[in-house]
Amino acid sequence: MKSKRFEALAARPVNQDGFVKEWPEVGLIAMNSPGDPVPSLVIKDGVVVELDGKARKDFDMLDLFIANYAIRLEKAEEYMKMDSLEIARMLCDINVGRAQVVDVTTSITPAKITEVLGKMTVLEMMMSMTKMRAREIPSNQCHVTNVKDNMVQIAADSAEAALRGFDEQETTVGIVRYAPFNALAIMVGSNSARPGVLTQCAVEEATELNLGMRGYTAYAETISVYGTEQVFMDGDDTPWSKAFLASCYASRGLKMRFTSGTGSEVQMGYSEGKSMLYLESRCLYVTKGAGVQGTQNGSVSCIGVPAGVPGGIRAVLAENLIGACLDLEVASSNDQTFTHSDLRRVARSLMQMVPGTDFICSGYGAVPNYDNMFAGSNWDAEDFDDWNVIQRDLKIDGGLNPVTEDAAVAARAKGARAIQAIFRELGLPEITDAEVEAATYANGSKDMPDRDVVADLKAAEDMVARGVTGVDFVKALDRAGFGDVAASIFGLLKQRVSGDYLHTSAILTADFKVISAVNCKNHYTGPQTGYVISDERWEQIKNIPAEIDPANY
Amino acid sequence: MAINEQMLKSIIEDVLKEMTGATAAPVASKAAAAGKVKLTAIGDAKQGTASDEVIIALAPAFAESQTETITGIPHDKVLKELIAGIEEEGMKARVVKIYRTSDVAFCGHDAAQLSGSGIAIGIQSKGTCLIHQKDLFPLSNLELFSQAPLIDLETYRAIGKNAAKYAKGESPNPVPVKNDQMARPKYQAFAALLHIKETQHVVQGKKPVEQQVAFI
Amino acid sequence: MTQEQMLEQIVKQVMSSMGTVTASASAGGALTDADYPIGEKRPELLKTPTGIAFSDLTVEKMISGELKSEDMRITPETLELQAQVAESVKRGAFARNLRRAAELIAVPDARLLEIYNLLRPYRCTKAELYAIADELQNKYGATINAAFVKEAADVYEVRKRLKGDN
Repeated sequence: MKSKRFEALAARPVNQDGFVKEWPEVGLIAMNSPGDPVPSLVIKDGVVVELDGKARKDFDMLDLFIANYAIRLEKAEEYMKMDSLEIARMLCDINVGRAQVVDVTTSITPAKITEVLGKMTVLEMMMSMTKMRAREIPSNQCHVTNVKDNMVQIAADSAEAALRGFDEQETTVGIVRYAPFNALAIMVGSNSARPGVLTQCAVEEATELNLGMRGYTAYAETISVYGTEQVFMDGDDTPWSKAFLASCYASRGLKMRFTSGTGSEVQMGYSEGKSMLYLESRCLYVTKGAGVQGTQNGSVSCIGVPAGVPGGIRAVLAENLIGACLDLEVASSNDQTFTHSDLRRVARSLMQMVPGTDFICSGYGAVPNYDNMFAGSNWDAEDFDDWNVIQRDLKIDGGLNPVTEDAAVAARAKGARAIQAIFRELGLPEITDAEVEAATYANGSKDMPDRDVVADLKAAEDMVARGVTGVDFVKALDRAGFGDVAASIFGLLKQRVSGDYLHTSAILTADFKVISAVNCKNHYTGPQTGYVISDERWEQIKNIPAEIDPANY
Repeated sequence: MAINEQMLKSIIEDVLKEMTGATAAPVASKAAAAGKVKLTAIGDAKQGTASDEVIIALAPAFAESQTETITGIPHDKVLKELIAGIEEEGMKARVVKIYRTSDVAFCGHDAAQLSGSGIAIGIQSKGTCLIHQKDLFPLSNLELFSQAPLIDLETYRAIGKNAAKYAKGESPNPVPVKNDQMARPKYQAFAALLHIKETQHVVQGKKPVEQQVAFI
Repeated sequence: MTQEQMLEQIVKQVMSSMGTVTASASAGGALTDADYPIGEKRPELLKTPTGIAFSDLTVEKMISGELKSEDMRITPETLELQAQVAESVKRGAFARNLRRAAELIAVPDARLLEIYNLLRPYRCTKAELYAIADELQNKYGATINAAFVKEAADVYEVRKRLKGDN
C-alpha cells in the first residue's frame, strides 16, 4: 500500500528541488569541511611566509595575492592567536562596536575567518550582520530584463522599480549585441522616475567596462572572482588582471564591485576538496586585496549548489557576513531562483532581510520571473505586495515601498516615452506609440509586440561605432522635451568627476547627495541605535493599498 | 520535464562508490549507452582553411565517459542534429575533442580559432552549448544556451543551422532562448556533479584532437 | 527609501557624532572623512582634467555644447584626495586601488582595454608583459602599475599562465 500522506508530501513543491548528500572530496560541502586548512600565519620581515598551512614557495596565485595585498599585517599575528570562538562572540556582541571587530577581521586569514563563522548559528550571524553592514541605512537593488530584450519594456519596468524604491538597478541581455540598448533603457527609464538611481548592464568584463566608459552605465558589478586558481583561469582572469580592471573603473570615475559566491568552484569542476565557504572566503580576500569597495555575494547564480547540500543557506549568510567583516559593501544576492518552494524562498531571504544589508537583493526581479534573464530571481514583480506586507508585518526596512496603480502607470508611461524620444533623436529604429502603450500597461514581455531584432542589433552596433556617449543622451533627452531626465543623466555623469560615489556602499539620493559607509557609518550597539526606522518611513511602509480604514468600514 | 531517473541513479551510485573509496566503475557501461556513435581520434586538430566549415567542439567526456545530456538525450542524437543543421545550410561540419578545459566557452573559443570559417559550436556532455566566433573574447559568444535542461533536439538542429549561417557571413535571427527559472532548483546540483565528472577528464595542455564520427 | 529619510539619517548621525567629529583638513593636510563628500563639502578642491571647476559643471552647459565627454572625467588629483579620505577610515587597500587608478587616467580607453585583456591568462609572454610595464612607466609615468604588471608577469611564469602554457 502507498501512504496517502507521503503521496501528498511528494507532490509538494519542495520535492521538486534537487538535493545531494555531502561529498567533501570534490567540495560538495557547504562549511566545516575536513579538507579545509588549519588557520596559520607566519610573517618574516614584513612578508607573509606561511598562510593557512602553506609555505610561501607552495603558494598558488590566490595565496600569493592574498598574502601580498589582502591582510592588514600590523596586528595580524596577535589577532591570529585569538581563539576563533572569542572572535565569533565579538561578532554578535552588541557591546563590541563594528570598528573594533573590523580591526580584527581584516587582520586574519581566510581559513581563520571561515573557522570563526563555522562557530556561529544563523541567528548569531543575523545579529552580527545588523552591526557589521558597512552603510548604516540598508538598501535594495533590482533586475530589469526581459526575454525579448525589449528596450521599451525595460524603460517602463525600470521606471516603476525606481518608484518602488530600488536605489540600484541591473539589466543584462538575452542576445549580447543588445547590450547598448538595454543599458540605455534602464538608465533612462529609472532616472525618469527617480533621479540618482545607479544602473548597470551585466555583460562580459571588457565589454562592461567599455559601456561604462561611454556613459551607458553608472557602475559595474559582474566582475567575477573565484576561489581556486583553475576556476579563476576558466573565468578568463587572474587576481592581477581583475585588480587592474578594478583600477580601470576607478580611473574613469566609475563605481564597481566584484562578484563571487559559494558553489562556483564546485559548479566549475575545481574545488580542490575545500568547503564552499572557505573558497568563497578566498574570493572575498582577493576582492579586498584588489582594493575593491564591495562585493556581490551570496552564492548568486550557483545557489542551487549550496542549497542542495546540508547547511547551504547558512553558508550563504556566512559568506555575506565575511564580506561585511572585511569592511566591504555587500550586495547580498537573494537574486536567483533556487527552489520551487515559497516557504524556502522566504526563509532564505529573511537571513538578509531582517538584519538588512547594503543591498538585500542583488537583485530583486522587478519583472515577472519568466522575463528574468538572470535565469530567474528569488523575488519577482508578482511578489511586490508580499515583500511590502512582510516589511509591514515585521517592521523592517527592506528598501521598498507600496505604490498606487496610477502612480506606477504614470511612471511607466514616462519611462517608455523617454526611451521612444531618445531613439527618435539618435536616429535609432522607431519605437511606435503602440509599443509605448503596451509597455505602459504590460506585466511582462508576453504583453509586448515583437520588434525587428536584426534591425535593432545593427543599429545598436552602429550607435557604439558612431561614438555616441552619455553626453549625447543628455542632449537628445533635452531636445525631446525631457529636460528633467536629461538633468538626471547629467547628474550621474557628474558623479564620475568627483569620485565620491566610488567609496564603500555608496548610493545617491534624488538630489544627487552621496550616502556611503564614509558619511553614513554603521553605529549599531544594540536596541535603538544604528538604523532605526523613522516615523515618516514607517508611515510609508505601513500604508499598503490593501488595508482598509476602520473608521470607514 | 521529468528528470531522467536512470541517470540520477547512476550518478548517485558513482557518488556513493567514490565516497566509500571504491574506484568508479571502469568504462564498461559506456559502450552500451554510447552505442549509437563512435568517436575515433585521428590526430591533432589542424588549422582549417575551408571557409565552409563549422567546427563542433566536444568537451572531454562527450560521447565517451558520458553518453547523454542532463535530461537524458543521447549524445549521438545531439551530434546528429548539430551536423544536420550545419549541412542543411550547405556547410561542412568538423568534429574535434577539447581536452585542456571543460568550460563550454573555452571549448567553443579554442575551436573557433581552428575553424576555417572562424565559427564553432562548443558543447558539454550535460548539453550546455554555444556558438562562438574567432575574434570574440573567450567568454563572449554569438549565441549561448546556458540552460542545458531546456535544450531539445529541435533546438540543437537550429543551433547547427545558425552556426552555419554565421559562417556564411549572414546575420541570422538568433535561436529563441528558452528560459525556465525552475531549471536551477531542479538541476543545478546535478549539473555540478556532471561537470565535476567531465572535468575529471580534462588534460592540462593537451591540444584539440580531430575526431572521426561514426554513427552506428 | 526617499531622500528625506536618508537625509534625516545622516543628520541624526552627524549630530550623534558631533562630540568626536574631526576638524576639516587644514590647508596642506590630508583630507579625512570630515571633508566627505568632497563634491559637497570641499568642491573648491575639484576640477575636471580640462580645468573646469566642479561647481561650474551644469546641465545647461552640456546642452549648449560647452561641456563635452572629455570634461566629465576624474583627475589624478581628485583620486588622490579620495584615497586620503579612504585612508582616514582605514581602507588602505581601497586607497591603493584609487592610487593605481590615478595613474591610469592618462592611458586612453582603447589601450586600457587592451592592456586589461593582455593581463588575462595565457595572453602574453613574460617579455611582452614586461614591455607593457615599461610602456606604463615610460609613456604614462604609471610607476605603481608598472611594478604591478611585472609582478603579474613573474607570477604567471611560475604558475604557467603565460602565452603557450595552455
